[in-house]
Amino acid sequence: MPIYFDMLPFFLYFVAAVITGFHVYSLLALTVYGVPFNPLEVVSLLGSMVLLLAACISLFRPYAAARVALIACLLIWSFYGPATANLVRTRFQRHKVVATNCGDEWDATSSKHR
Amino acid sequence: MILPFLSLALLTAVTLYSAIVSFRQTEGIEPSWIFPIRTKRSTQIVLGILVLALLIALSFIIGRGPRQESTRSSRFLIPEGYTGWVRIEFEVQGAPPLPMEGGEYIIKIPANGVLHTSSAEQYGWARDRYYYYSGPSTHSLPDSGEGDLIWGKLNGETSGTSGKQKYEEFFVGTAEQFKSQSKEKESSH
Repeated sequence: MPIYFDMLPFFLYFVAAVITGFHVYSLLALTVYGVPFNPLEVVSLLGSMVLLLAACISLFRPYAAARVALIACLLIWSFYGPATANLVRTRFQRHKVVATNCGDEWDATSSKHR
Repeated sequence: MILPFLSLALLTAVTLYSAIVSFRQTEGIEPSWIFPIRTKRSTQIVLGILVLALLIALSFIIGRGPRQESTRSSRFLIPEGYTGWVRIEFEVQGAPPLPMEGGEYIIKIPANGVLHTSSAEQYGWARDRYYYYSGPSTHSLPDSGEGDLIWGKLNGETSGTSGKQKYEEFFVGTAEQFKSQSKEKESSH
């Protein structure tokens, strides 16, 4: 078996920790420009660091590392869960028509195109 | 823009993988590439040290925080009794730079309320202070809470024939004065 196949959990945890950590840290850094502070971002950042620790443990004890990684994931989801729910809600929300071009193709009360 | 989606995809993958590994039966099962038992000793040591070093470095960077950046605070000196808008125009050629005192920029506003400086505008987290001055004596102006005398602070950039002009503005006066001048401004438009 090639050496890198032995390290699948390590790479998975490591890459996920770095990517999520960088993303959340960049969001946290925006607070200096007046963006409201969200405490869940700190919890998520802590989760990314625990995931990095899990990557380290996975080299020695993969099963214990998986449990640590699962806890880390729960911490990270505390931010990504509500954020994803908000994103989905706003994406699928129907926007009401505020102004219409009466007499042409657009309905005055519905957002559907005729 | 791809970063949030990449984060979500990786997070989902790690959650599923770690949940499967955590709850699966381990007795009598041969190790495979997807569920390895352990890596080589040399790899363990090298990667373990690297990850721990990265973890310590990250803790240090996060502990320092973005608030410790090189942004300096400013001390605004406003003429005693001045009420109205104050404007500071930055990066004006030929204008004097802002002096510094005790690690703070000293921004002494002239009687007309407009200051030109060749210094660059400061961005980031900083605690600015405001004072009325009359000759050598100064006394502080509250910029928050009850009795606040600083309002409508804004930063902007205008472009004209002489190029782009960065500026900062704020209003000095009571809440009533600020509201009444806002109404006057609206009615004049």
